[in-house]
Amino acid sequence: MKYLIEKFGKINTSVLFLCIIFLILELIGHRHGETSIEDILFFPAFFGYVSCIVIFKIGVSLRSFLMKDEDYYDK
Amino acid sequence: MISSFPPGLIMMIGALLIPFLPHIIRQIYMMVLILVSAYALTLGFGIHSKINVMDIEFIIFQSDTLTLPFAIIFHIAAILNVIYGAHEKHWNQHVAIMSYSGAAIAAVHAGDLFTLFIWWEATAFTSVFLILVSKTERSYKSAFRYILIQVGSGMFLLAGAILLMSETGSAEFKNFDIDSLYGQLIFIAFGIKAAFPLLNGWLQDSYPEASEIGTVALSTFTTKLAIFCFAKSFAGTEILIIIGAIMTFYPIFFAVIENDLRRVLTYSLNNQLGFMIVAIGIGTELAINGAVAHAFAHILYKGLLFMGMGAVLYRVGTCKASELGGLFKFMPITAICTIIGAISISAFPLFSGFVAKSLIMSALGKEGLVFVYFMLLFASAGVLHHSGIKIPFFAFFAHESGIKTKEAPLNMIIAMITASTLCILIGVFPSYFYEILPYQIQYQPYDFSHVVGQLQLLTFAAFAFICLWHFKIYPPELNSTVLNSDWIYRKMIPGVLLPLLNLINNINKKIEQLIGFMFMNIRKFFANIMKKNKVFDREVGQDTLIVIQLFIILLIFIFVWKIYL
Repeated sequence: MKYLIEKFGKINTSVLFLCIIFLILELIGHRHGETSIEDILFFPAFFGYVSCIVIFKIGVSLRSFLMKDEDYYDK
Repeated sequence: MISSFPPGLIMMIGALLIPFLPHIIRQIYMMVLILVSAYALTLGFGIHSKINVMDIEFIIFQSDTLTLPFAIIFHIAAILNVIYGAHEKHWNQHVAIMSYSGAAIAAVHAGDLFTLFIWWEATAFTSVFLILVSKTERSYKSAFRYILIQVGSGMFLLAGAILLMSETGSAEFKNFDIDSLYGQLIFIAFGIKAAFPLLNGWLQDSYPEASEIGTVALSTFTTKLAIFCFAKSFAGTEILIIIGAIMTFYPIFFAVIENDLRRVLTYSLNNQLGFMIVAIGIGTELAINGAVAHAFAHILYKGLLFMGMGAVLYRVGTCKASELGGLFKFMPITAICTIIGAISISAFPLFSGFVAKSLIMSALGKEGLVFVYFMLLFASAGVLHHSGIKIPFFAFFAHESGIKTKEAPLNMIIAMITASTLCILIGVFPSYFYEILPYQIQYQPYDFSHVVGQLQLLTFAAFAFICLWHFKIYPPELNSTVLNSDWIYRKMIPGVLLPLLNLINNINKKIEQLIGFMFMNIRKFFANIMKKNKVFDREVGQDTLIVIQLFIILLIFIFVWKIYL
């Protein structure tokens, strides 16, 4: 635990533990989604994680042609 | 007397007195104006006031179950704006904000399109001063573009209203058919103000150029007025589902790479509008309630986020992520309020965003719109990324920027704490909140599936961000301009038009030269003839030549006259 906090920081470790708690909660109760795909075990967790990574990846790839100098419109 | 006054109008008229009042009295006076305006909301539903001009009936004050929630939140936002801007001693922004919010409130109560048009344009002309007040060259240019687009939107509305009037004999503000031409014109007018895809450039262009107080006011009224209009006139129009889904989706990526945190919030605003537009497109009672609830909650948490960033801008002088960081220890209350706004917009349970967004997601699920549902779920993760984490993280944590500052002024803190409290109260007591929505429905947002599903989605999305940052995969924020749809009229069109205009100019010059050359030769020709035949015994003078030329022109006219007439 100490090692994790040292390596990963207090807040980050707390978020990690929250993630684990919410996964365990799903095992205790019965979660169902608005659509049948969401009923797959841990689907929201998986979807949230992957979405964030995809958003980041697309965002970074867009930098090359959407990002211009600060005074681009002033030139 | 007061019952015939539409809410908001008293604020607009009362704003004229603001410049003549001393600072403290002015603040109290503005509060009184808002409360007097809000009194009209107690009059119940129905048409309260109409006037006849040249046999045309203008319904200037009508209220129903849809106008009420918008009127309530607009009044609350107006009060928060007054508190938030209380440190500003000059009257100019106060006049603009009071008349702007008054115009938006009056617009909500318009019963016909001509009345709506007047308030529609009034919101544009009053709000533009909030951008101009920044007094930078960028803000002047941005304000010019803003007013052009806003007035342009009004022109579409007016054209639609006139066409509707000529076709049906009435310009009543009601549900319109998208297949009719007037319906399409009105749809475009609303779409411009709702910042539809490719029509959204003005939003990201102008809002971040406004003052710290101005942006808070701007984020509240214009776009939500458009949402109200869509809910009133185009509920159940299917194309809105597609447009809204696109709106929730693409601003995420722009927000991720944008450096100016207030501009990030405008992309986030665009994305949130998408949720509301999707709900209006679905058009069921649950969905319309969702759209209205989302607009209501959104005004509070988005206003709160803009307040937080406004406070940072006021104290530090910049809102660029690349220049900020580590401000938590100097501005802890601002930081906590901003975090509450961020948690609310991310739709964590017990906060306002959750109880509002759940309605829309449930409406989507019920209608079986699976693809759009997942687009919005993806967008929800995106909201957490850019508004939930990026805004508070880069402003108050991230790295040490070396900036030393102090906490926001007391009035700003009071406004932020009030907005934060409302965000929490709505989240904790949703049943009271649902009571003011247009339709009375039974809905329980806090069930095991909703709560656990949402918590998993958000905590794992947050964990993904943490991983990206911790393992140094997240690139540093850079001072930059991110291209948006305004690039079309700021760069592309001038880029095409200017060379074209130059070409036309050059051709014009060539033609002028050619004509000049021809006249010169004609002159020489006649001068030579006259000299040879000794018509004149002296060199032909300028006056003589002019008379001859006029004579020739006259002959040509007579010739043409004779032939054609």
